[in-house]
Amino acid sequence: MKFWDLIRTANRNLFRNKLRTFLTVAAIFVGSFTLTMTNGLGDGVRAYIESQVKNVESDRVILVRRKIEVPGAERESLGAQEYEDGDEGGMNFDPRSILVTKAQMESAVNGLDGVKSVTPRYDMAGEYITLDGDKKYKIMLAMISEGITTKTEAGSSINGPGQIVLPFQLAKTLDPKIETLVGKTATVAFKTKDNEIKTLPLAIVGIATKGLITNIATFVDSSTAQQIHAMQTSEGDTDKFTGFSIQMESPDAAKIDAVKRQLTEKGFEGDTFADTQQRVYDAVSIFKIAMGLVAAIALLAASFGIINTLVIAVIERTKEIGLQKALGMGRGKIFAIFSLEAILIGFWGALLGTLGGIAVGIVANKVLITAYAESFEGFTLFVFTLPSILTVMILVSAIAFFAGVMPSIRASRLNPIESLRYE
Amino acid sequence: MLEVRSLSKTFTSDGVDYTALRDVDLRIEKGECIAIVGKSGSGKSTLMHLLACLDMPTSGHVFVEGSETSVLPERAKNKLRNEKFGFVFQQFFLNGRETVFENVVLPMRIRGTGRTEISADAAAAINAVGLDDKVQKKAKDLSGGEKQRVCIARALVGRPQVIFADEPTGNLDSQTGASVENILLDLNKNKGITLVIVTHDDDLAKRCDRVVEMKDGRIISDRRPGENGI
Repeated sequence: MKFWDLIRTANRNLFRNKLRTFLTVAAIFVGSFTLTMTNGLGDGVRAYIESQVKNVESDRVILVRRKIEVPGAERESLGAQEYEDGDEGGMNFDPRSILVTKAQMESAVNGLDGVKSVTPRYDMAGEYITLDGDKKYKIMLAMISEGITTKTEAGSSINGPGQIVLPFQLAKTLDPKIETLVGKTATVAFKTKDNEIKTLPLAIVGIATKGLITNIATFVDSSTAQQIHAMQTSEGDTDKFTGFSIQMESPDAAKIDAVKRQLTEKGFEGDTFADTQQRVYDAVSIFKIAMGLVAAIALLAASFGIINTLVIAVIERTKEIGLQKALGMGRGKIFAIFSLEAILIGFWGALLGTLGGIAVGIVANKVLITAYAESFEGFTLFVFTLPSILTVMILVSAIAFFAGVMPSIRASRLNPIESLRYE
Repeated sequence: MLEVRSLSKTFTSDGVDYTALRDVDLRIEKGECIAIVGKSGSGKSTLMHLLACLDMPTSGHVFVEGSETSVLPERAKNKLRNEKFGFVFQQFFLNGRETVFENVVLPMRIRGTGRTEISADAAAAINAVGLDDKVQKKAKDLSGGEKQRVCIARALVGRPQVIFADEPTGNLDSQTGASVENILLDLNKNKGITLVIVTHDDDLAKRCDRVVEMKDGRIISDRRPGENGI
């Protein structure tokens, strides 16, 4: 029998009992659908995070913060703690305890190999921004440490003092032609510690690409940040920061690791952008594995459906198999027909499940954009890639094939004479 | 054409041995029309199955055109059955949902014959049994006699040298049975196809060149009705 005839025969056999085939395909559909949605969501989140993280990046900057020691965290027991008179109630965590002084920073960095520069992370709060002094817009200020670049829609990243990069939406509001903003001077206002409004003229060097952080924050260079920070904090706190960043001379992984290790010994924690990225990817992977398990269980249940369908088909078609064998059809061909039936069930289920998943994903993306357009600018929740779609189809068809092996072997081993006599 | 020598077949079921054939010798010449008769349990069907390489003998030898088939591997026996033998069974074993055409061409599909050749051979075989107007009809919509004629066309389509017919008229009334007999005997006379008919119908047996009677797994008589003038 020719291969095409085998497929045709298998397909015709499936159509003999349409309801049964449909129900078996439906079970496979559920598994494939789940798998497609999982992959789509995982890829979507991953792509989003990738684009977000890459909006602000550096291959050689280590962000350092004080290792937070929550009182009681080192206690062995997580159980109830006895209250003694005089104890502070609740979580006695002082937010100021994370602050790093200039002296602490310098001692932490002292003796580290391969460091090019160290920038403190200055906290600051912006009030408004204006171009013409007439129309004022609220802003949120963030600092860009030396060595870190932001992706820009127009202009360039910050590379010197007195510069700002505007978020995309703010720039659009200031001037729909965002390119014309680059090179202009904007006035940025902030409140001092005495609640006075002060302003600084800053040069617009770039407009940030859309992204979660870059959508809302206006970036300023470190010396501008230091200036604002100094005016916003009281006398003794000027030299206290929420952390600092170390710019290495090169992206040499061994040196970066050595610096991170020494920082840990000194009671600090250092993360590169790659570390942060990896942590998020790990979280996405765990999510994908968890959802994948759900899909696997659905597919496992569905494969019992295939086994059941084929076992019944073998019994129903015993005489037909007997005739085919009498007329010279070999075991291999009988096995092939039943296996192909299993694979076709898997294939149709996978095809429908994938198409259904993609359809639901596209609708979900549309709904999400309409509902949360502002905050999820540039975010596609479900991303469907050809390799992941093909993987689902091939994987599900393979599962279906394996489910069909047992019934197919039973069919191929039937004795022709006994089968023809079967009642 | 076909020959068996000291053929024995013992079935074992639930630990009990049952001997269906005991030391049978038989030689069937090319172009012969032979009826194997006997009561049920006489071993006639078992003999046919062994002649047709559908089963393995317990001991003894089966020859087709002088070469021993009982030693052939399964694949070679499949090929032999597909190419040299045709089968007609009492219970038609047609696929009711398929057309007459699809039922008839099954042996060709198994063989892997090309599409044009299949169409031509199927048309000839269907014509030989007089079912030209029913080619595209579903097998389930046919009468009993028509169904058996489809089976004959299916046996014929692969240009076999031998057709084995197991109680071909057993499920038919005498009139349609007679027309099926005529078709089978015509194939023997006009196309020289060797015909091996297993039957307990004496009227059908009498129309054959040769009648072999079996009892308790042995051949008890081997007659030529024409010669004896019966």
